[in-house]
Amino acid sequence: MAGVANPMAGFRLVAVDEKKRFMLALIAPAVLVLVFFQILPILTGANASFRDWHLNDPKKTWIGLTNYAYVVRDREFLNVVLPNTFGFLAASVAASLIAGLMLALLLNRQFPGRWLVQTIVLLPLMVAPVIAAIMIRWMFNDQFGIVNVILEAFGIAPIAWLTQKWTAFFAILLTDVWLWTPWFALLLLAALQSLPPEPFEAAQIDAASAWRTFRYITLPMLRPVIVVCVVIRAIDAFRTFDIVWTISGGGPARATEVFSIYAYVEAFQFLNFGRGSAAAVLGAIIIVVFAMALYRLLNRWVEVSR
Amino acid sequence: MSTIEAIQAPRSRYFFEALAPGGRRAFFLLGTVATCLLFAFPVFWLVLTSLRPGYAVYYVHRGSDFTLDNFREVLSQEIVLKALWNSFAIATLATVLSLGVTATSGYMLSRFRGTIPTAWFGAIYVFRCVPYVSWVLPLYFVTRAMGIFDTYWGLLLPHVAVHICFFSWIMKGFFDGIDPSMEYAAMIDGCSRWGAFLRVALPAAVPGLTALAVLCWLYTWNEFLFALILTAQNTPILTVVMAQFVHELGMEWHLMSATAVLALGPALIVTIFGQKYVIRGLKI
Amino acid sequence: MQGLSRAWGLTPLRGVAAALFAIALTLGAVVPALAQEQEIKVGYMKNPIQDASLDIMEKWAKANNVKLTRIPMAYSVFMEKVTATLTSGADQFDMIWHNDDWGQLWKKWLETTDDVKGLENADPWPLLAFWNDDHKLTTVPMAHTVGTFFYRTDLVKPEEVPKTFEELVSVSQRLQKEGKVKWGYVGGMSMNNTWFSFLWTLWANNCDILKPMLERDNEKLKAARFEPALTEPCHREIVEYWWDAINTHKISPPGMTAYGRNEANAIFMAGDAAFTVVDSTHFGEFSDPKRSKIVGKVGMAPFPVGPRAKVPTSWNEIWGWAIPIGVPAPKKKLVKEMLAAMMSDEAGQIEMWKKTGGPPPNVKLWPKLAAEDPDFAALKHAVFDQTPITHAAYYFAEWPAVHKAYSDAVIAAVSGKREDIAKVLEENVEKVRRAGLGTN
Repeated sequence: MAGVANPMAGFRLVAVDEKKRFMLALIAPAVLVLVFFQILPILTGANASFRDWHLNDPKKTWIGLTNYAYVVRDREFLNVVLPNTFGFLAASVAASLIAGLMLALLLNRQFPGRWLVQTIVLLPLMVAPVIAAIMIRWMFNDQFGIVNVILEAFGIAPIAWLTQKWTAFFAILLTDVWLWTPWFALLLLAALQSLPPEPFEAAQIDAASAWRTFRYITLPMLRPVIVVCVVIRAIDAFRTFDIVWTISGGGPARATEVFSIYAYVEAFQFLNFGRGSAAAVLGAIIIVVFAMALYRLLNRWVEVSR
Repeated sequence: MSTIEAIQAPRSRYFFEALAPGGRRAFFLLGTVATCLLFAFPVFWLVLTSLRPGYAVYYVHRGSDFTLDNFREVLSQEIVLKALWNSFAIATLATVLSLGVTATSGYMLSRFRGTIPTAWFGAIYVFRCVPYVSWVLPLYFVTRAMGIFDTYWGLLLPHVAVHICFFSWIMKGFFDGIDPSMEYAAMIDGCSRWGAFLRVALPAAVPGLTALAVLCWLYTWNEFLFALILTAQNTPILTVVMAQFVHELGMEWHLMSATAVLALGPALIVTIFGQKYVIRGLKI
Repeated sequence: MQGLSRAWGLTPLRGVAAALFAIALTLGAVVPALAQEQEIKVGYMKNPIQDASLDIMEKWAKANNVKLTRIPMAYSVFMEKVTATLTSGADQFDMIWHNDDWGQLWKKWLETTDDVKGLENADPWPLLAFWNDDHKLTTVPMAHTVGTFFYRTDLVKPEEVPKTFEELVSVSQRLQKEGKVKWGYVGGMSMNNTWFSFLWTLWANNCDILKPMLERDNEKLKAARFEPALTEPCHREIVEYWWDAINTHKISPPGMTAYGRNEANAIFMAGDAAFTVVDSTHFGEFSDPKRSKIVGKVGMAPFPVGPRAKVPTSWNEIWGWAIPIGVPAPKKKLVKEMLAAMMSDEAGQIEMWKKTGGPPPNVKLWPKLAAEDPDFAALKHAVFDQTPITHAAYYFAEWPAVHKAYSDAVIAAVSGKREDIAKVLEENVEKVRRAGLGTN
């Protein structure tokens, strides 16, 4: 290129190019896989959302924003599904973060049998979530479920867990927290163990209480890990499907219906793939914006509280 | 710094400090036992279920007859053994491929600034947010069109695609924690960029890679949705075989629970041997 | 561009990528090569009845040197996956399981089967779901699936079996009071289990989901703009009946609104309930000592009737086999020969009934079978001999949405306060209608 006129500029250009080439080569395999097995299917789905695309009768005629208009005008979607989804997201992420943090602090100590406790805490990661969800659905059954058997042993009247909104919601939430707490615990424990020891030694010399050490040393140092964990988990919690589908099916009626169930029922039970895809694209937009805002907010909030 | 001042503030009494050391220990022990019970119980109950005869898999607490019949019946099905092998192979290969692909991607995100890393990060983040509902079916068409439907590749590559975002993000964290000056030194000594990455940075990231390997293996081993959509008779996968115990007319829970317990074995082995590396290596 | 590729050439990745593609190509090439010329690939759900039906065809396949490949698919994705395959023209299956639930959804994508020999012996009633627009049939029956009222013969004598809704309550309460059984009636209620509680009582009370009652002609339903019958007195009675069964009379467990077939069957097979309604095909399970604690204690009877009816209305549907339209003509012919062989294999069909409880598709066999098999005689009396008869679903494209909206409405009504039932049903009329019209 123009490098002939100015040898120095030419050199810089080559240097930059070489670096860029290296950068591109580093991500090339990932880009290839992503393009073919994620981006291409996602764009196909997005394309379907603008079309009259029933699975059993794919006319594929362009209908613009009709599917989107249906979803945003659906009162159930706005008044039931979205509040349920965000309520579930907030409760699940908060509860599993707190439980995971407590477990990580526990496992960060040295005590006999720590290894065993750690293995037990990781058990939820080893079972297929769908199987765990079926198991828990039976456990919460009002007739043969073990939960009511235990309650009765303590003299508490049996509860028909899955027939009312809040008890069903509780069972789902408990399952989700059970499944995801180990994930938080692992990441936080790894982070805890990599913290430098000096601030803790200083705190010990100053005879700071355990709570103060945690509040003013441990927590601020864990901040980046917590923020990343919460954001990633929030994205996944927004898409939660199989646990809710297996335990309550979104019922009773539509009381525990969350976003993914709404999209799934439209796309695969009513076979309106275009409308289901439109709901999915709307959901993606909502969660991209939400997660970004959450990331900013968490960072600022932790910054201020420090 | 404000942190130091805060610690020097007068110490207040809290519940824990108020307890005598013995009481504190008892409290701690009780909490630990309760936690273990809570986490182990559903799995324990699943194992118990699989050992009950077919007529007692729902009323597990009623009666005390146990049997290995469910396991015998499941293991006598050739498809289950095939599926065990396939699931193992898929989980292992998916782990190797995912790590291979995301180690480089994470390294790039960690070591470089500018439009390419920003764009790349933006892309993997945005596409991760799209719910599966809209793209599993197109994914099925894509694998069919490429002629890899119902083969190892047809399941492996989508799995790798799903792992790219989270793993790249975590890998970036690993490399952030590794001092790049060693790589610069190696490059001054005549190493190429690739050489510096492969010989200096990558070995230093091995603990992190091992940690992710364990998580990736467990995830793929237990994955349902992709396996369900992207495989058929040539590539039976364990979770799909489990799903086939569900009919239009109810499910064969006795066989399903036995298969699930069989699947638990390898996962337990991987966790027991792998957890040490996970905690040592998993730093974001 | 050349520089870029040269940089890539230096990388070890190229080798890896090349190896990946080589392996992918090999795998892709090997799989089709394995296929044989005379092979029939069957996409089905791994259920004892379907396997038994395939066993019948296996005999023919062996004799004719055809390889029958069974491709089991999980029920949870069966309809979605096969629909996608059918509409994309892929040639994955030569024969597929077909169900009245999605009978009309596939009508465009299936080969017509009117020319299959032996169809004249099939019951014409349940075939309604499978006619295409040219009034050609698109399936061959495999077995009948019918809802059946089951009772415990050790608790109730045949003459004591409830004949009305009221008797169902009084007999249940008597048995419960005597301490013979924990619950009177148990049945599935949640979405896709509507038949085993709401729907059978609805039809046994001369009522229905849409107006005009018991109409299945799509044109007439469309002309009535899918008007729901939710606010009809006959409908309110049914919802109140179930509300009372759970909360007032306590003959059904409090968690029943969330039950599917699994929960209801678990309770019935553990011996904790006296009555249930479920597909007749579960009789095999109830009689399996490995699965059930009530073996030999299960009888079948006609449905009890509601206050607005004199006789119960039962339903009668089938599972079938179908041929995708994209299958090459010689293969279609081969599959049809196989299906004809299945339809004419009387011994095989009787064996299927004995092994699995799937009623034979050849109805000419029924009188003979009833004469020698008391269980089949009981089923025949309880369901097949009953008139009037209805269809267990609607056969228009929006039926899944109507069914879901309907299920949500009645479950919400039963889950709330009794005095609110009429109000909740009223509120849901619009939703069910909109589901039928496909708008919002």
